[in-house]
Amino acid sequence: MSPVHHSGCPRSRSEIVEKLRRLLPRLEGLSAGTRVFSFGLPALDTHLPQSGLVAGALHEIAPQAPGDTPAAFGFLAGLLTLLPPDRPVLLVGGIADHGRVCGHGLQNFGVDPARLILVETKNDKQALWAFEEALRSRIPAAVAGMIDKLALKMSQRLHLAAGDAGLPLLLLRPAKADEASAAATRWRVGSAEAARDRFGLIAGSRWEVSLERCRNGRSGEWLVEFDHGAHRFSLAAPLADSALPHRGAAPRIRRAG
Amino acid sequence: MNAAAEAEGLLIGDALADARAKAGPLQVHDADPAADHAALRRLALWATRYTPAVAPWDEKSGADGLFLDVTGASHLFGGEEKLLDDIARRLAHFGLPARLAAAETAGAAWALARFHAQAPVILPTREESAALAPLPIEALRLSSETRATLRRLGFRRVGAIIDKARAPFAARFEKELLLRLDQALGRAPEPLASIVPPPVYHSLRYLLEPVMTQDAVIAIATRLMRDLVHVLERDGVGARALRLALYRVDGAVTALDIGLSLPTRSPAHVARLIGLKLERLPEIEAGFGFEALGLAVTVAERMDEKQADLAADGTCTTERMDERCAELIDGLRQRLGSLSVRRLAPLASHLPERAETRCAATASPAASASFPWAPPDETRPRPLLLFARAEPAEVTALVPEGPPRRFRWRGVMHGVARAQGPERITGEWWRQMQAPTRDYYLVEDEDGRRFWLYREGLFGRETASPRWFVHGLFA
Repeated sequence: MSPVHHSGCPRSRSEIVEKLRRLLPRLEGLSAGTRVFSFGLPALDTHLPQSGLVAGALHEIAPQAPGDTPAAFGFLAGLLTLLPPDRPVLLVGGIADHGRVCGHGLQNFGVDPARLILVETKNDKQALWAFEEALRSRIPAAVAGMIDKLALKMSQRLHLAAGDAGLPLLLLRPAKADEASAAATRWRVGSAEAARDRFGLIAGSRWEVSLERCRNGRSGEWLVEFDHGAHRFSLAAPLADSALPHRGAAPRIRRAG
Repeated sequence: MNAAAEAEGLLIGDALADARAKAGPLQVHDADPAADHAALRRLALWATRYTPAVAPWDEKSGADGLFLDVTGASHLFGGEEKLLDDIARRLAHFGLPARLAAAETAGAAWALARFHAQAPVILPTREESAALAPLPIEALRLSSETRATLRRLGFRRVGAIIDKARAPFAARFEKELLLRLDQALGRAPEPLASIVPPPVYHSLRYLLEPVMTQDAVIAIATRLMRDLVHVLERDGVGARALRLALYRVDGAVTALDIGLSLPTRSPAHVARLIGLKLERLPEIEAGFGFEALGLAVTVAERMDEKQADLAADGTCTTERMDERCAELIDGLRQRLGSLSVRRLAPLASHLPERAETRCAATASPAASASFPWAPPDETRPRPLLLFARAEPAEVTALVPEGPPRRFRWRGVMHGVARAQGPERITGEWWRQMQAPTRDYYLVEDEDGRRFWLYREGLFGRETASPRWFVHGLFA
């Protein structure tokens, strides 16, 4: 792009935009050493700041309807595969009245059930305390849980705690949750027809995933598929960007900056 | 029988009317041995501030006193005299006049406390015979028949028995006589049943000023733990269970028990757990404050030397990670309850609801599971969420032994788009005869939601009307 000659302003427009883009993450507190988990799917990653989910932040996942709660939990389980596999994962609370987590089922999502530590709490207050405690210890690879009501102040506090620890806090929210939140990303997951192999057996789960809110990023909607054999995310054919390869590269963790 | 009663001329065993006649107005309370026993127990717990080995006397010895094993504790007070003074003074504050005696053997101490002319008395070593000789026979805790027989035979003082030949006594009386004599003289051991199990390691602090705040309690507990660290290191052990005893100024004692998943010697970790426990318990009444705190290690376990903590950026050794994980689990347990932190472990069973269980979480997953998880089988898909009790559903199917076409569950009607299955799981006949067979179907409805349904009972062979259930939900 040819430089625009402004009196007293020698820099080109693209340079200014580039400088602003570099400045914004620093203002948000994302330093050069922030870890980021990318899906490995360019169509998705370009919507996220620094091309991936920030490790030290609060991320919210809500179902489209109450019946889609298992789908939301499945998406969360898929996200766990993007994290380092040698650390435990803490799951605080249960999944409302949708049953209990089944270790054999978790294996289909590439998560070793032996890594899971389940914490039962009696009320939201205990759950919030447990989140902070787990984040402060810096032991787990991620802390996950379901919480009903989350006030803005509390979500800010959790976001800061996750930022201090450098670990992701993945929260499942109920379908009606709409209040303002300090989360870095908010996803909404709905069910979709599964991907089947040539025998008609289910090869991978599919969900209609929409990124409702994203700090420093853009929202978007995709039909995301999680392959139970390869334990990878991919974009299902209808909405994938046809210019990009169908199965993305393997997900990896990158250091931003 | 106290002094005032004796002054009025009352005797033990007087009828109530006679007593009233002798002494005028009397307050009458029914004897309540249970309350007396409870009160003696509370006093014994209070007395643990001096030493953990406190044994209340049993019925035969009178049930109105305590043994305190002060071996090694008296120097903290500057000698046995000062210790006895301290005890007597505090008991006087409680309004309990007491007779005290200290001796090398429990039997001698009992005898002196009961029968010595002046109390308190401290018996120097090896003078038991001389001290016991002038005391009456009751000073040896004997049964009433033995006492009666001895008196009839003319033995009134202990001195009459001490130096005699033993064989005739052994022949005529029960073993008890010689046993009690030997115990009093130190020739036979007398084990005491402490009211609290004596801990392996313990440290105690007496405070100049009573403390009332939680922070102060935690700070003192940290110091107590630091006192214990070097003895724990010397023996190569760490604490697995601790008991913190808080002694109130007015004599009440509160005890907190802390359990840990890995042995520890870290004062900071113990202090944090105590803080969490204090927060979780309902108000602990501090009254006028706590005047002494004691920390005892009730369970100690071998603990090897470990390297110091490496860099804090997450690159640390597996042992260090396990240790920190154990600390996290301990902290969560203290605040949320000991059963609130679990891990999943597989069990050997075909039935899905019995194929795995939750067990108490340990720091490393390998310790929890007795055998490893089987790799997933794609022909046998398992749901992400499983109901502990399958929920009934009303299903319409094309044929009774075929897959479902529509089903109603939790009041909502679902139309089935695709059904995958059946996976047949027979019942566990060794647990329940005639256990029904289940045919599982992975069903996807028109909205794309996936359910795990099963039909219970084979149509025709097991039952005429099989029932359907929803057992789990797929993501």
